[in-house]
Amino acid sequence: MDEKPLGKKPKAAGAKRIALLGILFALAMVLSIVEGFIPVPVPVPGVRLGLANIVVMFALLQLGRRDALGLTLLKAGFVAVTRGAMAGALSLAGGSLAFCVMALVLALAKDKTSYLLLSVSGAVFHNIGQILMASLILGTFLWPYFPVLLLSGIATGFATSVLLKLTAPALQRLHLK
Amino acid sequence: MKFARKRDILIIAAVAVAGLLLWAVLRGAFAQPGVYAEIYYQSKLVETVALETGAEESFSIEELPKVVFHRYADGSIAFLESDCPDKVCIHAGRLRQVGQMAACLPNEVYMKIVGAIADPDAPDLVIG
Repeated sequence: MDEKPLGKKPKAAGAKRIALLGILFALAMVLSIVEGFIPVPVPVPGVRLGLANIVVMFALLQLGRRDALGLTLLKAGFVAVTRGAMAGALSLAGGSLAFCVMALVLALAKDKTSYLLLSVSGAVFHNIGQILMASLILGTFLWPYFPVLLLSGIATGFATSVLLKLTAPALQRLHLK
Repeated sequence: MKFARKRDILIIAAVAVAGLLLWAVLRGAFAQPGVYAEIYYQSKLVETVALETGAEESFSIEELPKVVFHRYADGSIAFLESDCPDKVCIHAGRLRQVGQMAACLPNEVYMKIVGAIADPDAPDLVIG
């Protein structure tokens, strides 16, 4: 993040790291629940604001791929437990694809990219992953939804990038160092 | 990391434009009123509903008595009721054009609007 340069710092000691990850996971869960109350006016199943993506992005930027992936999987598990296996499968598919793409973007262009592109690619590919999984479940390729996914992904990606920029200082203070 | 870079904004704008074009093409090119609605349950076609009859009717498929469809007099069709938690299928609204779809994932059912049913025995393509 802009405030502190991202270097390779030694990972926080075991207990601190688990505590930090626990807090981030709790944050992701709360965001996941809260965003369920905000209707997104898009006629596509399962499209949400993706606020929990803020947590995954923060983890990718500040902690590393393994922790970010862990948070993604935990979030999918949480969705599965609270909203059912179907929703969990969609979250897993969307989250995993979004994680892969965001990790790839950072691996290729970390110094040349921005919160905005990272966030939008995460959001768009989260939507794409979900629709692919829904297509798999129903047995038919749901291609008519793609334009809507692109556009809503751009919009929600923009929103979450703004939120990430705003909350980064607070999240960094969590580092418990 | 910066919030936004000019190159990224351009990339995103290009994708947005592509998305809008795609959407317009899909709406425009396929904007024919549907002739039938095909209802699929667990990936198998279970019901074909004629849309142009001008008769209003609510019905269910026998596999899912709790999911109610409604065909309107103007030739559109919609999910009317469902026992799923999210009701995304109902929010999809009334379908009318060829290619439009609505799905209820928890119930493993979806419907799509098609034009005249192709004759399955006729060749798919004739060359020459």
